[in-house]
Amino acid sequence: MPRLPPTLFWQARRLISPLAPLILPVCRDLETTSNELRWIRDHVKSHPSPIPSKLRIWQLVDKRSNGTPLQYVLGTQPFGSLEILCRKGVLIPRHCTESYTLYLSTLISSSSPSPIKVLDLCTGTGCIPLLLTFLLPSATATAIDTSPISISLAKQNFLHNFSSLPPSSNMTFTQNDIFSPLSLPSSPDILTANPPYISSSLFQSTQTTRSVRHFEPKLALVPGDHLKQKAIEYNCRLEDVFYARILEIAREIAAKRVLLEVAGWEQAVRVVEMIEGKEYGTVGIWKDEVYGATHIVEETQIGRRKIKVIGEGEARAVYLSRI
Amino acid sequence: MFLQTIRPILKPRNPSCFLSPLCSLLQFQFQPLRPISRTNLPPRPKHPPESEIEESFLKGSGPGGQKINKTNSAVQLKHIPTGIVVKSQETRSRSQNRKIARKILAQKLDELYNGEQSRTAIVGDYKKKKAASKAKKSARKYRKLAEEKSAAAAGLTPGGKETISVIEQVEEEEDDLDEEEDVEEGQEDYILQNTHPNKDTS
Repeated sequence: MPRLPPTLFWQARRLISPLAPLILPVCRDLETTSNELRWIRDHVKSHPSPIPSKLRIWQLVDKRSNGTPLQYVLGTQPFGSLEILCRKGVLIPRHCTESYTLYLSTLISSSSPSPIKVLDLCTGTGCIPLLLTFLLPSATATAIDTSPISISLAKQNFLHNFSSLPPSSNMTFTQNDIFSPLSLPSSPDILTANPPYISSSLFQSTQTTRSVRHFEPKLALVPGDHLKQKAIEYNCRLEDVFYARILEIAREIAAKRVLLEVAGWEQAVRVVEMIEGKEYGTVGIWKDEVYGATHIVEETQIGRRKIKVIGEGEARAVYLSRI
Repeated sequence: MFLQTIRPILKPRNPSCFLSPLCSLLQFQFQPLRPISRTNLPPRPKHPPESEIEESFLKGSGPGGQKINKTNSAVQLKHIPTGIVVKSQETRSRSQNRKIARKILAQKLDELYNGEQSRTAIVGDYKKKKAASKAKKSARKYRKLAEEKSAAAAGLTPGGKETISVIEQVEEEEDDLDEEEDVEEGQEDYILQNTHPNKDTS
């Protein structure tokens, strides 16, 4: 990270607030600093407490200033129209996840009879199945995660958003390791997963930001060393081991559509090459911004498959469909 | 002049039906003569169709995924036919910001196409008028208080009581005049508004 010039700190103090220089080193620029400070103030204003608000603002700014992600400081992150609770030990939902989930829902609602079965593996906060049940009325969702903290938070998130979800919405949360034998609903319409996909070398490099390395759970980011044996069995890299297993599950339960988040183009290509058989006729790679932003569609060839590449930014998800 | 002469006959509520044949004769678009009030403002403008908008997510895009956690939720819209660019980073929610940005764009286009007849201009006028009348009233109140005070001070001298009552009477009369002025000013405004399109056509 480049060093911030001292004048920037003076500017922050003069233009924004005396509290601004405290969070400037983690926000890195004046615009973000002023936004985050405003959001902290708004949060304090909208959550009444007997503690004086000035003290609470100072406490939150202090917490943020040591690098804690804002989502952990405030305890929430907006995701589509929902508000997802965030807690230390569970991965924070990202904008790109929101973008491809919204886009996925537009594909489904335009071309399907009711009811829709959603299965989400490595669910974390439960953001993906929650948003899909919100957007697709009459959907039933099953969410699975290996971490008990995640599952309890996902359940809390379901209750937290209960009033905005359609009344008939039905969600099941199960704590289970996806490498162990599972009992899963058969032929779900959508199988989504945002599994750990960062290689341990990338995790240690500066490409992974400090706030992620220090504050977010490594379990949700990097496939653990205990999976090395599995990686050898599947004959793939350690960071791709979850995709190998999820594609296996997708074949077993005959999922109609599969959406897997990936780190970038190279990993997306490796995942596409992993797909066996001809069940999935349509294969696409979605980039960071697929929803809302100006739509760019390209076509490329990977192996024998023709791939539709949609969106702007880095490659973010691989989409398979039988339909 | 014409309007001023017929003004006494006009009913305050819905004069347009009464005047419509005349208006069509004069090729004059008549707007209802109702005063601008909170309930009578023009509707909020609608945003242009999505096909005319180019949307981008500033800084929020670029390298992302699990390895980076960004709080930036800014949304930027560009209206292709006019080249107007608006940006919203008000909330942490990107979907909320998309709505806000569209609202701002609709407002900007309304201002561009309708000028003085746009919602923002009319709301601005209304607010200005309200503030002016409020200032006027408070000035009057404090002037009255000050006069009462000085009168009370003068009242200590013999024969003071009578002077106070006289001053109060005068003040009341002035108040009535002020109110009448208020009404007249208002009416002139409607007439100005109504004659405005007529001027354009002539």
